Amino acid sequence: MIDLQLLTQAVGDLDENTILTMINDFVATNPSGEDAQKVVFACQQGMAIVGELFEKNEYYVGDLIFAGELLSKTIDLLKPVLSSVATQKFGSIVIGTVAGDLHDIGKNIFGSMAEAAGFDVYDLGIDVSPSAFVEKVKEVKPQIVGMSGVLTLAIDSMKNTVDALNEAGLRDSVKIIIGGNPVNEDACKQIGADAFTTNAAEGLKTCQGWVK
Amino acid sequence: MTDAAARTNERNQIFRDLFSGKTPKRVPISNPATQDFAIQHAGLDLAECQWDLTKLEPVYDKFCQDFYTDTYPGGSIRIPSHYQILGSTPIVMSSSGFMQHPDVVGMLAEEYDQFIASPYDCIVETILPRLYTGFNGEPGKVAMTLAKAMRAQSDDLAYLGAIRGKMNAKYGFATMIGALTEAPFDFMADFLRSFKGISGDVRRYPDKVAAACEAVLPLMIKKGTLPNPSMLGYTFIPLHMAPYLRDKDFATLYWPTFKKLVETLASMGQNVQLFVEQDWMRYLDYLYELPENTIMRFEYGDAKVIKEKLGKKHIISGLYPVTLLQTGTKQQCVDKAKELLDILAPGGRYWWQADKSIIHLEASGPVVENLKAVLDYVHENGTY
Repeated sequence: MIDLQLLTQAVGDLDENTILTMINDFVATNPSGEDAQKVVFACQQGMAIVGELFEKNEYYVGDLIFAGELLSKTIDLLKPVLSSVATQKFGSIVIGTVAGDLHDIGKNIFGSMAEAAGFDVYDLGIDVSPSAFVEKVKEVKPQIVGMSGVLTLAIDSMKNTVDALNEAGLRDSVKIIIGGNPVNEDACKQIGADAFTTNAAEGLKTCQGWVK
Repeated sequence: MTDAAARTNERNQIFRDLFSGKTPKRVPISNPATQDFAIQHAGLDLAECQWDLTKLEPVYDKFCQDFYTDTYPGGSIRIPSHYQILGSTPIVMSSSGFMQHPDVVGMLAEEYDQFIASPYDCIVETILPRLYTGFNGEPGKVAMTLAKAMRAQSDDLAYLGAIRGKMNAKYGFATMIGALTEAPFDFMADFLRSFKGISGDVRRYPDKVAAACEAVLPLMIKKGTLPNPSMLGYTFIPLHMAPYLRDKDFATLYWPTFKKLVETLASMGQNVQLFVEQDWMRYLDYLYELPENTIMRFEYGDAKVIKEKLGKKHIISGLYPVTLLQTGTKQQCVDKAKELLDILAPGGRYWWQADKSIIHLEASGPVVENLKAVLDYVHENGTY
């Protein structure tokens, strides 16, 4: 059986070779869905270590991006052995980069960390109009909406999106978090969001607090 | 001499003093709002005006009239025409009409060796056709695409240059010239490997990243060289990736070739302006090593610490938070300008610019009035 503690540590260390070797060896043993779940959980714990090291300023954004890439590689390898069991989800989030803005690096980091933490993540992509957010919220009824942006124009687009959710009568059904370079407390108030962050790990903690 | 010409002379002297480490007669100001803002301020459609530049002269006239600035407020423009003709993927227009740079891959990881052996050939033969769809196809067609794009760009630049000349003649701005280049590591990330790609490369093949930065350095120096180094102006270097790297990766992969770039440009007798994007507070000791009078426009950071560490050797700028103009009252905005003046102006070596460009205008918002108030305040109170 795979050494789950060692795997968690390897994910925390972002040690690509060790992770891929361990996962490949594990999949080759034709494991049960339950065992594969344990491996996923060990990887999630490793991602939590990555998040902690980020908060301690030992890792930086480049490391989070690399972590996201490693995790999606790992999940792809595990998919064939995971398909037999339903995965437990903690909540669902609709995310997107708001209208007029094409920057998606921060959104993608947050999305992969949220997925790793067990959220269903619906990513609408970039330059997402308020109406596209509204339609998706109607369709999947998430607990949380995450809006991302880098340009200062994103502040106005975020406000327009919150207004659109209000008009559609959906505002009270979701928590809203905004993230990215130009957001701060004042902008958060003006936009009418519930929380703001410039740090994906911190934003994830806020979301986890909401769905507890 | 006309009043405008006299103002140009006065402003040129202020910048000559500033850039050579002397204390100018007052703190010079650059309006942080851009052409995009100016178009919206004139009540016109952003996308349309960028395609039809004939609409821009009254736009700039109103812009220059309404907002105080010592330098022409039309810098850093990405004209859509030639990007469209080339089928550009690294620079595209969003739904708002703002030209942006999405995260793109121009070079694959397995192409590092080819790039290191000959960066220029690799860019021309492999990378440009990947980034610009107009460079794919029959050689004759590619040649036509290139010719059309270059013609469109040179027509557009000439048109914008004529507007600039008229505004300078009317408003008497400082006549500064600029070149633009990137730190080698940033060039590798922004146009070749992408943010995501380089983040993996730093861990998988750091030696190749370092060698690629060395290989591309001469091109970055060439791109950043002014037509004549004695001209009033600077080479603008927008910095990007350093805040996202671990200290040791910064020290071994980012810093060495970036430092050589700035030192080489400075040794030719030209000033360099860095846009110090994101949070560089952990790298201030590195920045201190750069040549005297390097201009550093900061996006983030503690103004006091920056002034204390760098303010005697380098020219500090930026830090004024433009989001405050969107969310604050007029008084709060002016107070913030005063706070920064009080910290950064004493002893000289300060140029008033904001932390970011203002590219967008919500017509119903407070930005126009707040920005006017701040620019006027600094103009009237900007003593060293």
